Amino acid sequence: MISRFGYFTRETVISLRRNLMMTIAGIITVMISLLLFGGIMLIARTFDHGTAKWKNGVELEIFMNVKASPAQVEELRAQLDNDKDLVQSYRFLSHQDAYEEFKRIFRDQPALIESTTPEVLPESFRVVPVRNELTEEVKNKYETAPGVQQVVTAQEQVKRILRAIQFVKYIIWGMAAALLASSLFLIVNTIRLATFARRREIEVMKLVGASNWFVRVPFMAEGIVQGVIGAGLAVGVIWALKNLISNVLKNRQDLFQSFYVTSADAFGIGVLVLLIGFLIGLIGSTIGLRKFLDA
Amino acid sequence: MIRFEDVNKVYKGDVVALRNVDIEIAKGEFVFLVGPSGSGKSTFLKLLLRDEVATTGRVLVAGRDIGRLGSWKVPSLRRNIGCVFQDFKLLPNKTVYENVAFALEVIGRPRHVISTQVPQILDLVGLSKKTDNFPSELSGGEQQRVSIARAFVNRPLILLADEPTGNLDPATTVGIMRLLDRINRTGTTVVMATHDQRIVDAMRRRVLELDHGSVVRDQARGVYGVGT
Repeated sequence: MISRFGYFTRETVISLRRNLMMTIAGIITVMISLLLFGGIMLIARTFDHGTAKWKNGVELEIFMNVKASPAQVEELRAQLDNDKDLVQSYRFLSHQDAYEEFKRIFRDQPALIESTTPEVLPESFRVVPVRNELTEEVKNKYETAPGVQQVVTAQEQVKRILRAIQFVKYIIWGMAAALLASSLFLIVNTIRLATFARRREIEVMKLVGASNWFVRVPFMAEGIVQGVIGAGLAVGVIWALKNLISNVLKNRQDLFQSFYVTSADAFGIGVLVLLIGFLIGLIGSTIGLRKFLDA
Repeated sequence: MIRFEDVNKVYKGDVVALRNVDIEIAKGEFVFLVGPSGSGKSTFLKLLLRDEVATTGRVLVAGRDIGRLGSWKVPSLRRNIGCVFQDFKLLPNKTVYENVAFALEVIGRPRHVISTQVPQILDLVGLSKKTDNFPSELSGGEQQRVSIARAFVNRPLILLADEPTGNLDPATTVGIMRLLDRINRTGTTVVMATHDQRIVDAMRRRVLELDHGSVVRDQARGVYGVGT
């Protein structure tokens, strides 16, 4: 058993070195495709954490019409006070409060702040429902109240952002899939070349009755080594990316303060990437060997 | 040991390679397979190696219908059949020793078995002084001895030889035939396809003559051509 392992190791290394350029090309494409794939996964996880936080502390924003009368505002306030079944708490933002927030958000654009006055910004109620699931119900109930301009739920904002992210994700995933396919073809080709280079040995092996597995294993190992090395490099870069994201997001006080990515996330993605690399190598070498297996 | 039961082999394009071949070869026999090129000798050997499968009829080796073997069982069949070719099929980048050891290595024999059996067999074929030479450094006869050593190192029940002396001069041929005869005396069944009239006439063994895929002669102590 030990001598057999030694044999496989030796043959695999020899074959990898014989097709060095093809091997490197295979490794690099596996790496890039898996890097894209893993990178997207990592960023997606970051956003998941961020949006999860939003979802939990769901706030609805009931925006009053800018020209809503104080009476209408008071009416709504009374309604919210009495709606113990749906409303857990709420906060009222006056014109002035809205202006303060506006100034904070657009602090980098003084021109915009200057041209804006508190009166043009609507008053609003920030409502926390009793339970998350009640968000829609609250929305429906107050949307039609007099003086209400619109009810915006956090979920809607989140959904809009997620839709945009999703779209970008699909594009990058498409690119990753195309690259993954090309890395598969490269591995198939490398294995074909390797079997061609060693056709005499394969002929003799079959002649003396080497089992099919014995003939196949070094080639499959060759494909798997390429896939796993490529994946390993991708994991290394993903890990660096994780640290970069963590550093950028650390101590942020703005919208992104709730975005983060854990080591567990990166670890899970790393394992997945390695697994895909392994499978690509395995499938690539199996396809590469198919022709010669038939004989 | 070997049995062909009404075997027909038709290749693509209706090329008939073997026609109603029905013969039996006993254990320990030495059989010459003669006939012109294209008479079906190679197909006969390929069927035994399960390189090809009979179109109709059965080919039995040691009682087993090898046409019905699963592809995963073909290796175990081939471990019992040694094979020698006109072009030797040696690996040029391996030494004599390594070429023979390779045959044992790839069927998973343990290292201590390899290190005892390879020197033994190289001694048998008379190459114990050339173990570290590469095939390109050997004469044709020596290369064929290496190939015989490789075919026989695993002590197969059957040794197939396809024109083993086709590339060799007469003097070398005699040496190779002596070696095959010696292997046959250990109880190994030998089937040898050949064009070489002199060796068939000299050996006086069983002769199977094929012509256009049919067995036209089966003679116990035959010569190459009828009536010569």
